[in-house]
Amino acid sequence: MQIRRMLVAISGAVIDPDVVSLAATIARPTKAEIRIVHVIEVPWNLALDAVLETALERGEALLSAAAKVAQSTGVKVEIELLQAREAAAAIVDTARERRSDLIILGMPYRRRLGKVYIGRTVQSVYTRARCAVLAYRQEEPS
Amino acid sequence: MTGPPDHESNSPSLEGRETQTGRLPGDRYVRIVHHASGEFRRQGGRYVATEEIDRPLDWGGRARSAIRRVLIGRRLSTEAEAEERVSKKTGLAILASDNISSSAYATEEAMRVLALAGAGALALTMPVALAVVAVLGIVILSESRVIRAYPGGGGSYIVAKENLGVIPGLIAASALLIDYVLTVAVSTAAGVAALSSFAPALHEDRVVWALLLIALLTVGNLRGIREAGLLFALPTYAYMLALFALIAVGLWRVLSGDVPTAVLPTASLESQGVTVLSTLLVLRAFASGAVGLTGSEAVANGVPSFKPPESRNAAITLVVMGSCFAALFLGVTFLATSIGIQPDHSEVETVNSMLTRSIVGSGTPFYYFVQVTTAVILLLAANTGFSGFPRLASILAHDRFLPRQFSFRGDRLAFSTGIVALAVMAAIVLVAFGGSVTNLIPLYTIGVFLAFTLSQTGLVRRWWKLRNPGWRASMAINTLGGTVTGVVLVVVAVTKFALGAWMVLLLLPALVLVLSAINRHYNAIADALTLPDLSVPIPVPGAPVVIVPIARLDRAAVKAIGYARSISPRVRAVHISYDPEGAAAFRARWERWVTQVPLDVIESPYRSLVPPLLRYIDRVAEREGQQITVVLSEFVPRNWWEFVLHSQTALRVKASLLFRANTVVVDVPIHFEDIIRDLAADEASKVGPAH
Repeated sequence: MQIRRMLVAISGAVIDPDVVSLAATIARPTKAEIRIVHVIEVPWNLALDAVLETALERGEALLSAAAKVAQSTGVKVEIELLQAREAAAAIVDTARERRSDLIILGMPYRRRLGKVYIGRTVQSVYTRARCAVLAYRQEEPS
Repeated sequence: MTGPPDHESNSPSLEGRETQTGRLPGDRYVRIVHHASGEFRRQGGRYVATEEIDRPLDWGGRARSAIRRVLIGRRLSTEAEAEERVSKKTGLAILASDNISSSAYATEEAMRVLALAGAGALALTMPVALAVVAVLGIVILSESRVIRAYPGGGGSYIVAKENLGVIPGLIAASALLIDYVLTVAVSTAAGVAALSSFAPALHEDRVVWALLLIALLTVGNLRGIREAGLLFALPTYAYMLALFALIAVGLWRVLSGDVPTAVLPTASLESQGVTVLSTLLVLRAFASGAVGLTGSEAVANGVPSFKPPESRNAAITLVVMGSCFAALFLGVTFLATSIGIQPDHSEVETVNSMLTRSIVGSGTPFYYFVQVTTAVILLLAANTGFSGFPRLASILAHDRFLPRQFSFRGDRLAFSTGIVALAVMAAIVLVAFGGSVTNLIPLYTIGVFLAFTLSQTGLVRRWWKLRNPGWRASMAINTLGGTVTGVVLVVVAVTKFALGAWMVLLLLPALVLVLSAINRHYNAIADALTLPDLSVPIPVPGAPVVIVPIARLDRAAVKAIGYARSISPRVRAVHISYDPEGAAAFRARWERWVTQVPLDVIESPYRSLVPPLLRYIDRVAEREGQQITVVLSEFVPRNWWEFVLHSQTALRVKASLLFRANTVVVDVPIHFEDIIRDLAADEASKVGPAH
């Protein structure tokens, strides 16, 4: 499978830099384009295009940090900030629109009720995306 | 930039929001397109410009920037300004280097005056030195009260302005500004003198060497060496170590009866004739020796830079500084008079150098150690001027007594304008006085004593007004300080008047007048521009009256007329022609082409362009009775050197209209790239859409 365009979704989790580095590693041999997105989830009581100052600031900072990680590995990236009711839908739709071949997401190691917990965004992207999806799960903290 | 962008209105913004329809009806999302994400970052509801903004785009700018980075260093953001506090040890090195370094030349300057009355009069150097140290004791006692009264840093300007009024404050400020310039000039000249004592070849070009030192200090200060504690601490302590060791060896030899043979100068002062030893001469010697008191105000000014408890640490540093200076000054003076050192008339070798040679011998490593540490500490003393002048100038600029540029911080957070201004003035003074320490000294001490006297008097008034616990003792100390420094001021002014002090006494009131005039200007502007309250609705004027001067009917003219019509329906074009035929031809072309915009053609048989245009605008403005907008078209060539190939009429008209009241000038530039793009568009439209 030839990967030409990749979409990396970051959420502000500690594994974001690892996810971006992984994407850069995959992209380098084929010189694939990387687009890093962060989705601000807007509560239902606000308009979809409401200006959420704190979230915007955080989102821009996250994307800028992620771009720096990618640049440090010698890969150029595009960044995109989105606002949606549900992050998964926006990620899947953006991947479709940008004709991405692969979506990469991060999964922080979490346990709930004794089981490793997969967040709803990852689950939803897995079930709805038409392209390949790669979820990078953080290693179990020792 | 203020406030976040308002995406709901049509106003221009850095941020665009595009609503995208998802695959399912409920999956709509918004893409936030930030057009300058690397250049502006969002923070707390505002944009913050990043370093990227200042990165030049053209090669010339990049080259300039690279040179600046090498000389001055990387830019520092305002946030990076750490509040660096100094300990007593570092504080002594940073703030006391000026005062302590005075011991390198204070003895010599007093001796130089006394030597005019013959070698026998040099015996009076020690009593003169004792008198100077007594005054220093009083000054330090008084300065410790300044520290107590102004823990936030009490420069003489602030103390005098708060307690005595604006004019005394300005006098103190002017005196200090002059003095800082002289500190730089004197210290660099003395530093070169210390070096030329063992390398006489330097003496010939001493002005050039001193100018190089000033340049070095300027670059260092633009880089922000103020914080480099170690840089100051090492040489200051090395100098103190060298001189104390020298004094110890000297005292041991003198007291044990092994008095060294004095090294005599090549040009002794006696050969220049003998003056009668008068009271005036002794007072003049005292005034010259009093140069050692300069720099003692630096600690009181820098109280906030000390670690807590600031006032206590500053007071201790002040006392240590005074004790060190007194010990060094008295030690050097005692040895110089005991051994029989005489000052060198030609100023090639310093008294300290001859003294060192007499005690430890010429060419010994210790001799070089003393001379080099002396030169370095004098360089650092010059740096006191570089930290004091820009800071005082920034305070004055903040209070609207100096141009605002003095309060702006440069790339490295240093007050660049003040640093450069000081360097230029010190260089001028140095060149004017031929780099001679002796010629500069008469100008030097007046400013310091004037500032001292004013701040002490200010404090006396303050204690009298406040009457807080201990006010009587404080008032007594400051009264004594004020009186003594006042007397010294008079002595210095009278004894050195003819030698050059008159220049300072003339310059001082002139500077006060300039500062006041700048303040009046700023206040008048502020009064005129300030809004009484912010409830006044923003006026919405009607469509402006627009005049478009047109030279030729070309692409530039089309752009200008198009723009003029976009802002108002009341547009009139005006063409200046040098002959009737040209006027008729232009009108004919105009009427064939532009029918919506009326045209006035002015024939100018004397071939003048700007005056008839300005008079035309004047008369239209008179008739309309409202603001006139002049829309100018201007061709901008691709390269800067191509500018000379164009007449730049628009530039001349703009310059003439700059000072015209009630006139808005709009420049519609047409770049070479615009023309290329327009031509391409024309070609495309000719070809037409493909079928």
